[in-house]
Amino acid sequence: MKKRGLEKTLNLILTGVGGQGNVMASRVLAGMLVDAGYVVTIGETFGMSQRGGSVMSHLRISPDEVKSPQIPAWGADVIVALEPLEALRVLAVYGKPSVSVLSNTRPVYPIGVITGELDYPAPEIIKEKFRMLAASSWMIDATDIGMRLGNPVLSNIVMIGALGATGLVPFDRRMFEKEIKKTLSPDKRLINMKAFDEGAAVIR
Amino acid sequence: MIKLGAQARLKKYVLTQGLCTGCGACAELCPYQVFYHDRTVQLFRCDLADGKCYAFCPRTPTDYQSLKEQLFDHDDLTDEIGPVKGFFLARAADAGVRSRAQHGGTVTALLELAMSEDLVEAALVSGQNKEGEPEGRLVTNKSDLAVYAKSRFTVSPTLAAFNRIKEEGRKKIGIVATPCQAQALAKVRTAAIEGYTGAQSIGLVIGLFCGWTLAAEKFHSLLGEYCLPLEELKRMDIPPGRNVLELCTAEKTLEVPLGEVEACIRSACRYCLDSTGEFADVSVGAGRYGMGEHQMSGWNQVLVRSRRGEELIGLAREKGVLEICDAPDGALDELKKAAVEKKRQGLENIVAKSGSGKNLLYLKNHTQPRDKKAGRVKSVSRQKRQDGDS
Amino acid sequence: MSKLLSPDKSTVLFLGNEAIARGALEAGLAVASGYPGTPSSEVIESLAAVADRRNLYVEWSVNEKVALEVAAAASFSGLRAMAVMKQNGVNVASDFLLHLTASGTRGGLVLVSCEDPGALSSVNEGESRYFARMLEIPLLEPADFQEVKDLTKWAFELSEIIGNVVMLRSVTRMSHASGNVVCAKLPARSRRAKFSYDGPVMDSKTGPMISTPVVAKHLLHQQKLKTVEALFEKSPFNSYTGPARPELLVITSSVCFLYVREALSMLGLRGRVGVLKLATTWPLPDRLLRKHLGRAAKVLVVEEVLPFLEENVKVLAAAMAGKTGIKTFFGKYDGTLPAAGELNPDIVADAIGGIMKVRRKKPPASYLSEIKKAASLIPAREQTFCAGCPHRASFWNIRRAIALDGREGFVCGDIGCYSMAALSPATGYHTMPTLHSMGSGTGLAGGFAKLSAFGLEKPILAVCGDSTFYHAVIPALINAQHNRADITFIVLDNAGTAMTGFQPHPGLTVSALGETVPAVDIAAVCRGIGAKVVIADPFDIDTTTKILTGYLAQKGEVKVLILRQACALSPEKKGKKTFDVRVNEELCLGDACGCNRLCTRVFRCPALTWDKDKKKAVVDEVICAGCGVCVSICPQKAIEKAQAVI
Repeated sequence: MKKRGLEKTLNLILTGVGGQGNVMASRVLAGMLVDAGYVVTIGETFGMSQRGGSVMSHLRISPDEVKSPQIPAWGADVIVALEPLEALRVLAVYGKPSVSVLSNTRPVYPIGVITGELDYPAPEIIKEKFRMLAASSWMIDATDIGMRLGNPVLSNIVMIGALGATGLVPFDRRMFEKEIKKTLSPDKRLINMKAFDEGAAVIR
Repeated sequence: MIKLGAQARLKKYVLTQGLCTGCGACAELCPYQVFYHDRTVQLFRCDLADGKCYAFCPRTPTDYQSLKEQLFDHDDLTDEIGPVKGFFLARAADAGVRSRAQHGGTVTALLELAMSEDLVEAALVSGQNKEGEPEGRLVTNKSDLAVYAKSRFTVSPTLAAFNRIKEEGRKKIGIVATPCQAQALAKVRTAAIEGYTGAQSIGLVIGLFCGWTLAAEKFHSLLGEYCLPLEELKRMDIPPGRNVLELCTAEKTLEVPLGEVEACIRSACRYCLDSTGEFADVSVGAGRYGMGEHQMSGWNQVLVRSRRGEELIGLAREKGVLEICDAPDGALDELKKAAVEKKRQGLENIVAKSGSGKNLLYLKNHTQPRDKKAGRVKSVSRQKRQDGDS
Repeated sequence: MSKLLSPDKSTVLFLGNEAIARGALEAGLAVASGYPGTPSSEVIESLAAVADRRNLYVEWSVNEKVALEVAAAASFSGLRAMAVMKQNGVNVASDFLLHLTASGTRGGLVLVSCEDPGALSSVNEGESRYFARMLEIPLLEPADFQEVKDLTKWAFELSEIIGNVVMLRSVTRMSHASGNVVCAKLPARSRRAKFSYDGPVMDSKTGPMISTPVVAKHLLHQQKLKTVEALFEKSPFNSYTGPARPELLVITSSVCFLYVREALSMLGLRGRVGVLKLATTWPLPDRLLRKHLGRAAKVLVVEEVLPFLEENVKVLAAAMAGKTGIKTFFGKYDGTLPAAGELNPDIVADAIGGIMKVRRKKPPASYLSEIKKAASLIPAREQTFCAGCPHRASFWNIRRAIALDGREGFVCGDIGCYSMAALSPATGYHTMPTLHSMGSGTGLAGGFAKLSAFGLEKPILAVCGDSTFYHAVIPALINAQHNRADITFIVLDNAGTAMTGFQPHPGLTVSALGETVPAVDIAAVCRGIGAKVVIADPFDIDTTTKILTGYLAQKGEVKVLILRQACALSPEKKGKKTFDVRVNEELCLGDACGCNRLCTRVFRCPALTWDKDKKKAVVDEVICAGCGVCVSICPQKAIEKAQAVI
């Protein structure tokens, strides 16, 4: 197991709404990095959050030490969001000037917005905030790609593919393929690789 | 201070104050409010600032005097019994209709006439649901009308049925209304709510004289005490001068002292000032006067109030569906006296409830009629009785 | 192959709970039992998945008390056993635990308590560590993932040394966090069960397993605990890092160690502050404490949730003050750390920074002000019932029935997904004003229903889930029936323990091990108790509201309504729509309807959204589960359903 690249801890936050596949995505990412020789900590909460609430996975990718499962405020290096409002929510607590943000475009409306009590910020405003608060940002139509491939839940894999292509995190397609072989049956692997590749294509 | 929404105000100022008359005007306008088991029920919370429920309710603050000026001819307005174009006794010419009626069958005869002459396309009367509870019923076949002829002693939320009628299905309707329902319909006609066209289907309002109605739960308890199942009750009446309520089944008649019945009166009725249906086109009551001492059994007292009402009576004479005769001397005075007493009592109860003579709850700009000698009513229609007496 | 069976010396990414399971396997675990409760459930789930391969007996017991009893039986028979629960569960098991620690155990018995500081998935922020002190048993708190596995493995050994229960305490940020773990060997052979009880009463290995004679056994129990202290003095799980004479000594346990370490990095204080990490937090090793307390005058104790460690350290420090000097303590007592809520690296950094007068580096003020502006635009994301949840329909019916009844009836709530009716009043249509522990809703309802003599004349309702029914409701229901408390009791039967991840319970015909087992029928139990029972489908709004309205009016008996409809996330329903539901744009009148947006504002299904541009309701087909309930609520009949094509 060779270590690649990271000299100090990389903090990544994966976020979305319960049920979007956040947990699976964090496992896949972490699995790849453990195999690459890093000390990885994932901090997550599940259960209640699944009932339509916000979910976050904090990934600490360290060359040498077990890090706490919660990233400190202003401590995120990369934010990967399956839902744009959640990207903003995470940015508002964990963002710092050098952060990079990858966000899905499709909104999932909070119940307070659906009932008309609260307002959901317009997509242009969200994009604008990303521009102001992040060093680099990408908007990816991950759910649309997922739906095209036959299942909207594939959006999480699309995002991982995109993340890989940015080079922000030390993993590549080969490592991803190896990782999903551990848990997915052969018939599912193909569609996941397609989703990964489509995500990567958006970045390039 | 956050202003309460319409539904909240309705609850605060009417429903929780014992002022709800059960007229049904606020029910079935939307999925939030229904009338159920003798009560107006708010199923869910609505946060709209204003609404038809509040606007139509006869017990939200209303300037009734101004409403009368808007809907009736000024010269016809009396202090005691509202607008009067004419006053006489009448009964249905058809003996079959009379036999199934409470008194003279005048309401049924007028509705049948209005339907045959296409003044209205349907009648809204009070019927019963499967559990024996009164509810509004839309009758489109005039031969079905006579079934609904008897008096009700617990309120029928007839206006809920009015609200239920879909906009597209609305035609001109003739509505049999208690005084509070006639008040609500007057508010429906004058509220001018944007996008609401329901008022256009009010073709005719036939008012009923009313002193009070009974709270269903208390009334059913009372029946229970007398071992009289509700389903067996065929007819109820208060015979003149005897201070009892007659309960008639197919086999027998039971008499209940009025004192016991009064304990069952719906609380809202104590705050009502209108015993003669002042906002109807025509109001009909029992042929009874002199504080119930004298009676023309089998006849109705009739007050004609509006032009529409006048036209209807004119048509009734022409088609011969009503027998009409002059009321005996003093009958109108007696009627006015009784009406004034109801207003006096109602106002006294309102002030007792509000705690101050300056707070008349739902009455805006109210003036109480002064005691004065009743004068002759203008333009009383005279008609010789069919037996030729003058 | 499950990663729980990974080979010796392999490095695996384990969930904290999986690491507990692995540690137990490496210790030769035979029996594991528990009750689902976040954040503990994965321990039993992962063991059940490998039970066949490792020859284990794994059980989801009906409640935590029974779970501990089942594990205890295995221990009495010489087998190594584990009982797993969240913090509430220890309270439920506590009566038996009291007697168990008095009778002692034989095969290693570990009680795993996974706690929830900050109540991320609980309605309480309770602590079980005091049970260890109160019941005089050892308490272990692992601080990272490797330690979770290694300490769990050692706990069984420790339990056999003292012949008593060992409590292992984890928290959400350990149990539900993941990290690298190096595996050790899995034992080849498993023990045979043998239960001896004919020996002398004071012989813990061969006598009867009873807590009497109480005082004599209590003394024995305490002596054994003293021997543990000696072991703790030398334990490699306790460690000190930092300078020999630090300006501040931090004493910490559990995941707080990781926060402290992180905080020191953030503040650049690793060279000035010493950290004593304790994994053995009861009984505290006296000499070890004395050695390290001697290093500094200022001491900060960092822990979750209550100041358990702080108090115990202070007691020792007071006794040894003559030798070590008087210390200045910082922690929860003096407000340096918040008294409630969970900790994180920021809070700990603020605490340490405050004492050391060092500030944390922040981003530039301009950046922070932009962040503040962005934050003000973000709407909260409230939890609600999933699209297609039968609870939404059930509470819709309950609300309507209560309103029609007109006497302001209310529902005493219980624990499960339906707890959200209390946590977020609009979600439950404002019907549920009480919420406590498992089964307490029915107990409370039975109490409220007896207050009509004192003027409380409302219809009283109680709800519980199918799993909750078996856990704790039955005694309360019997109580209501026997004491003639006139309650309307509703079982929300969605065929599984949904909130915690769909674990089976006695109402189903499948066990934790996937075997076919007999189901215990809730309706039969209620009828056996003597109550009136009706079963209905909450999705049938008209029928259900009618039954409920009728029930509310009936006096003098316990009325049970079982609302049966599978959870939207259950294996049988997930991803499959019964109906295709859509809003007919021509019929939807939008704001002009006058219904004040009953469908979106009041009904509150996340799939029924409001299109701000068209100003009409629209169904989000990605979220919609196709249950079709919303079709009945629109006064214009604008929501339409068609049978879904499978």
